[in-house]
Formats: sequence, C-alpha cells, structure tokens
Amino acid sequence: MREILYRLKDRYHLGTPTFQRTDLCFVTVRRDEIRAILTELRDMEGFTHLTFLTAVDWIEEQLFQLTYMVNNREANLSLGLRVLLDREDATGDTIHDLWPTAATYQRELREMFGIKFPGSPRVDEEFILEGWTDLPPYRRDFDTLAYSQQTYNDRPGRVTHDPKTHMQKTLYPSYPKGAK
Amino acid sequence: MSLRDVLSPFTAWKHVIDDPVTIKDPFNRPGADRYRGFHQNDMDKCIGCGSCEEICQNAAIDMVPVEGQHAGPGDSGLRPMIDYGRCCWCALCVDVCMTGSLTMSNEYTWVDSDPDAFRFVPGADGKSWDLDVKGYQREDVRRLTGTTRAPMGEMPAEERIGNFCEIVDGFTPEQAVIEADRCVECGLCVATCPAHMDIPDYIAKVRDGDFEGGLRLLYETNPFSQACGRICTHKCETTCAAMHEGDTIAIRWLKRAITDSVPRERYFDLIRKPDVPETGQKIAIIGAGPAGLTTAYDLARAGHKVVVFEALDKPGGMMRYGIPEYRLPYDVLDHEISVIEAMGVEIRCNMRVGKEISIDQLKTAYDAVVLSIGLHQGRSTRVPGSEKAEAAIDLLRRITAGEEVPVPEQVAVIGGGNVAMDIARSMARLQKIIYGTVGVTVTALEELDRFLADREEIEEAQEEGCVIYPARGPQEITVAGDTVTGLRTWKVKAIFDEEGRFAPKYDETDEMIHPAGMVVEAIGQMSDISLLGADLTEQLEWNRGRIMIDSEGQTSEPWLWAAGDVTSGPDVIHAVADGHRVARSVGKMLAAKREKLQ
Repeated sequence: MREILYRLKDRYHLGTPTFQRTDLCFVTVRRDEIRAILTELRDMEGFTHLTFLTAVDWIEEQLFQLTYMVNNREANLSLGLRVLLDREDATGDTIHDLWPTAATYQRELREMFGIKFPGSPRVDEEFILEGWTDLPPYRRDFDTLAYSQQTYNDRPGRVTHDPKTHMQKTLYPSYPKGAK
Repeated sequence: MSLRDVLSPFTAWKHVIDDPVTIKDPFNRPGADRYRGFHQNDMDKCIGCGSCEEICQNAAIDMVPVEGQHAGPGDSGLRPMIDYGRCCWCALCVDVCMTGSLTMSNEYTWVDSDPDAFRFVPGADGKSWDLDVKGYQREDVRRLTGTTRAPMGEMPAEERIGNFCEIVDGFTPEQAVIEADRCVECGLCVATCPAHMDIPDYIAKVRDGDFEGGLRLLYETNPFSQACGRICTHKCETTCAAMHEGDTIAIRWLKRAITDSVPRERYFDLIRKPDVPETGQKIAIIGAGPAGLTTAYDLARAGHKVVVFEALDKPGGMMRYGIPEYRLPYDVLDHEISVIEAMGVEIRCNMRVGKEISIDQLKTAYDAVVLSIGLHQGRSTRVPGSEKAEAAIDLLRRITAGEEVPVPEQVAVIGGGNVAMDIARSMARLQKIIYGTVGVTVTALEELDRFLADREEIEEAQEEGCVIYPARGPQEITVAGDTVTGLRTWKVKAIFDEEGRFAPKYDETDEMIHPAGMVVEAIGQMSDISLLGADLTEQLEWNRGRIMIDSEGQTSEPWLWAAGDVTSGPDVIHAVADGHRVARSVGKMLAAKREKLQ
C-alpha cells in the first residue's frame, strides 16, 4: 500500500495517510486531481472495484467530505480517497465513466445531501424519496424531529409527563419553589 | 461451446437430496437475531428518566404514569409509551437508555384492526415477545452519553497535610463544560436535593458556557451555592441517571464551577434585591448559620427588615466553626455572606441571645422570631474519664477562632461521622505543623462501610495518616493524675438489639488501649437551648427533646419559628431548604398581619 502511495505522491497532492489496518488506508486528495488518481488506481494499480461512494457533513467547517472507497481484489487492499467540497452549492465531479455504478451513488448523494454531479446519468431523478421538498435529509441542519412532527399526525389522546415536574407534583408539592 | 458448458448444468443435480435453504413456512418465520422489532422494557430497571423520549426523532414516545410504579428516589415512576404509528425502529432509544432496561425483540409481525392497539407501554402492557431473548440490544462498545467523569485535581496527601489550604482544585471552565455535556437533563436528582435546586437547568448553562446565567439560577434556590458547591453532602448524585452505567455527573463540582467562574464583584450585579416596597415589618433571626441566613435572604428580598443575632465573632455557623478551612475556605464564606448582606440583612455578631439580649425583648420588638441556633454542644460518651475528653465541635470552633488548642503527639477520636473526620484531620494538620508527624487514631462503633462519614472524607483521612479502628466501642478514657493517657476500647459485636434499639454488645476479650494525650468525642451534638429561658421552654411543645414544629417550621408559639439543625439537620442543604420553608411561612403570617391593619 505504501509503495502505491509513494508512486502517487510524486505527481499528486496527497494528505497524510491514515492506516486503519495494513490493508485499509484513507488519504485526502484535491478535488481537481480525484479523477486522475482514480483512473490511475483503476488502470495501473489494480483497484478495479468501487466499493462505495459516500459523504459526511462537516457542518461546523462548512464542508462536505466525499469518500471514494476503491478495492484491489488481487492484492486485497482497500483505499479510501477523501475529497472536501465547499458546503455552499456543493458540486462534485462525476466518475460514472470510470465506474457505471457510481451514477447510482451520485444520484443518492444528490438526493440525500444535495451534492451536485453534473453530467451523471439520471442524477436529478428521485432515488428513494418521493416528492421530497424539504432540505436533503442527511444534511445535519435538517431537523428530523420537526419534519416528523409537521408531516405525521399523532394518534389522538397522547399526553406526556416531564419526569422533574411529575416528581415535584407527587413528592414535594408544598415546597416553596419558585416562590422567591 | 465446450463440452464443459454442456455438462455443467447437470452438476446441480447433486444437491437434489439436500435440505432446501428456503423457509418452509413463510408465515411464521422469525426475524433475524438482531432484528429491531417491538420494544421490551424491564420495569424494575427502568427509572423513567425520559431519555428515550428526548432522543426520539419521531416524537413517538410519551412518558406516562403506570400502575405499580411509583415516584421515589432516582425513579420518576413514569414509563415510556410508544406510538408505533410514528416509531421508525431506529433504536436510538435503546442506544441512549441510561439503565439498559429498554431493548427490542425480533418480533415485528403483528396485525390488528385497531390502530390504538399499537400505542402501548412495553413491559407494562404484557405482550407475547416480552421475554424473547433475541432482538436488538445495544452493543455496549460505545455510549451516546459519556460514562467517565471529568478528572478533578486535588492536592496530594503529603502536600496538604501540613496546612489548611483548600484540597480540591475545582473544575476549570473547560473541564466543567465537558462534564456538563454528559448530563441527560432528566431531572431525577431535583427531587432528591432537599432544596430542590434546578440542577439540570444550571448544568445546561454550564454546557452552554453561560456561567452568569447559571449563577442566577443557583441563587433562585440556594444562597449558599458557593458553600454547597464545596461541602454539600450531594445526595443528588446518589440518584443520578448516569450512575447505572457509569460515573454519576459531578453535580456538586459543576455548581462550584459556576460560582468560581463568575468574578466576585459581578455577584452584586447579578443577584439584586427585587424592587419591592418595604413592608416596615421586622424579623429577628437567632443564629447566622445557613438556615438563619437563608430565611433572612428570602425575607429581606420580600421587603422586610431582618436582623440576625449571632453569638460568635463571625457569621456562618457550622460552615465556619464546624467545617475546616481546607474544605471550605473562609474567604469563600465571607463573600457568600456579603451577597446576603447586600439584600439589606443586618447581622449583629457577638450578640448572644439570653445574655446580651433576651428572647422576650426580641419577641416584643419584632414581628417574628426565627430560632436557627444549630447544634453547638457536643454529646458525651459518659464512659469513665469522659469528663477529661474534648468535644470535637468545641475544638473545631476554637481552631477556627484562632485560639490556642493543646496538640499532643497522639490523639484518639471517638466517632465515625463527618465531624469525627473533620477533627481528626484538623488535629493531624496541627500535629504535622508542630511535630512533623501525624498521630491520630479514630475509633467508631460501626464497621467501616457503615460509617456515617462521606466516603471521600474517610479515604482522605486515611491518606493523611489517620488510623481508623472500626467496630471499637469506648470503655474508658484512661487518666494518670490530671492528664489523659489513652482510650480503652472493646470490639463491637452488635450495635443494635433485636428491636433495633441502640444497645451495643461487646467482645470483652478483644480489648485495645489506644495511647493518646487527648481523647476527642465526636459522637453527635445537641442544641444549647438555655437561651429560651424557663418560661418559654415550659410553654413550647417538644418532641423527643427537640422543639416541635409544623411542616412549615412554626413552633407552637405563633411568633416563633425554628429552622436548621436545631429541628431537623443534618447538613447545609437541609438547612437552606428549611430556611426557604420558614421564610414563606413567616411571610404569610406577616402578610395576614398587614391585611388586618389596613
């Protein structure tokens, strides 16, 4: 794995690699180099399989992170390539021409995170959400609870009790609390 | 096409006699072992903290009272009711559950024409899957809430033993925020706190870094938050939801973090006297301890004129004259009391009621009198030689007052409570300063794990070189001429008889002599009620030697209330709670009096 990284390092900008295991490594690369690196890994280094493509919302840093996991089956090596995108109007470069399956991942990321992949086949079609009009739901600023409360009705007759208030009422109703 | 391509389909025939891998009865097939199906809840383990309701992203959970479950220490008595019309089976509720009571069975097929049947309380409304073993359980690799308390810095024993400097560092604001972040804000602790402080709310302020907002909250329920942040018996922490699967939240230290983080001069801006009209009514309070001063604080803020009469040199009561400086530094207490004085409370020190002024004079000159004199007289073992013993409480007072106390090289302490530890550790410090070594033995009737003292007090005393002999009963204080030479003890076989009455039994063959130049009795205290005078003592109703009071602290006399250790005890936070109760009761009486006059 290290030899592969040494070979890439001469021509591309690689971050510090993180070895999770000897056969599993993550490294951050530049967005404008990801396609070239993936192509080289696939064609020269035997990483023929795209295991998955996923995203992480680093909302505090205003970044999305794309993770491309590629696998060399012969050598049993997995390499995760990370690309950071501006969260605002996030756009990634499609790789459906390298791996046709990537189109599906990209369609999912478009729907769940709102990350655009111009040129990817059917990327703007609905994937699993039908008629979704809210924020993409995997974004961390999407409020799941508020959405659920707006969207779904409660069964009638629902009542809840706050533990603290309930204990005050049952255990010490006459204590002069809040009277001051 | 090769021959192999033609023949290979026939190789499948070799499986013709194998068992099929498909399911024979697809209508009764079980879910996968770790399937997230209908919930199970262990009613006895569940504490009704509501963390499941809080985390549910579908608002599918209500906390409801359930037959057979009652509110009590560390249990709200509520249990989660789940609306399966909203549940998405994500299992966040199981992952966050503070006790591990909530799990999921792998049962997920159930048909019913009544939609309300899918709203029920798992564990209380019996279901066929309640005892199923399979299903989703938390993996216990990591927890959503941290299980480990933020570390607290403390002076090591060898550094602290030669002085009276404060031992505990207190959290830095950063540590406090980390610790506060572990709290699930269930509020079970609030019922346990005698003053019912708004614990989750002020912890939330710490987490948000809003220490000034936190301080305002503290003062709504406790004008002795600085003292309590250091020396509270913190029973709240015995009912913390976090204790079931990790360290309890350091509630006491978080309180202290708030009070330490706000600059002292800011207190006077944040804690202001409310803008209320003066009533012109006057209250006399006897004793400037936590109960008296809390009463004074409340009543002064309500517009009354309050005068506190204190027999000793300085206000604070047991917080100053009982609790050693290494646990509660005097400057902290001074500042705390100055905030109370800023409400207009007048404290007159060196005014012993019954000597400088009589209680009858107070009765005449004031609209109400509050008796909060504490327990400042030590009890005696009354064993032979006990007239030569020192009373712990008296010694502690003299040490605080800066009086010269005798410090022999060997001291024996009788008692296993916090006062015993306080005097043992104080004498150990004085010995260390004079002789460079510690020679303190502590004997008590109880086994070590039954000592009344706080665990950390015992451990710290041992770290400092005090030697503890549990289950030893005092028989005699040995004397040679006029000087004490030691303490003779027998092994305790039992402290109480069959009916639970105090009647210690000893093993007389197991005798020990603890050599000592001083024996200190720390077996309990009582009130010095001589200030009441014979007539009032006669008039008042009593209950087993204590002044009888109603639930609001009023005595049988309409002008006299009693609060704090003199009636209840046993600690500062109970005294504060008493003070609030009495202040409200006095306030009601005064309001009625005003109305009558109009």
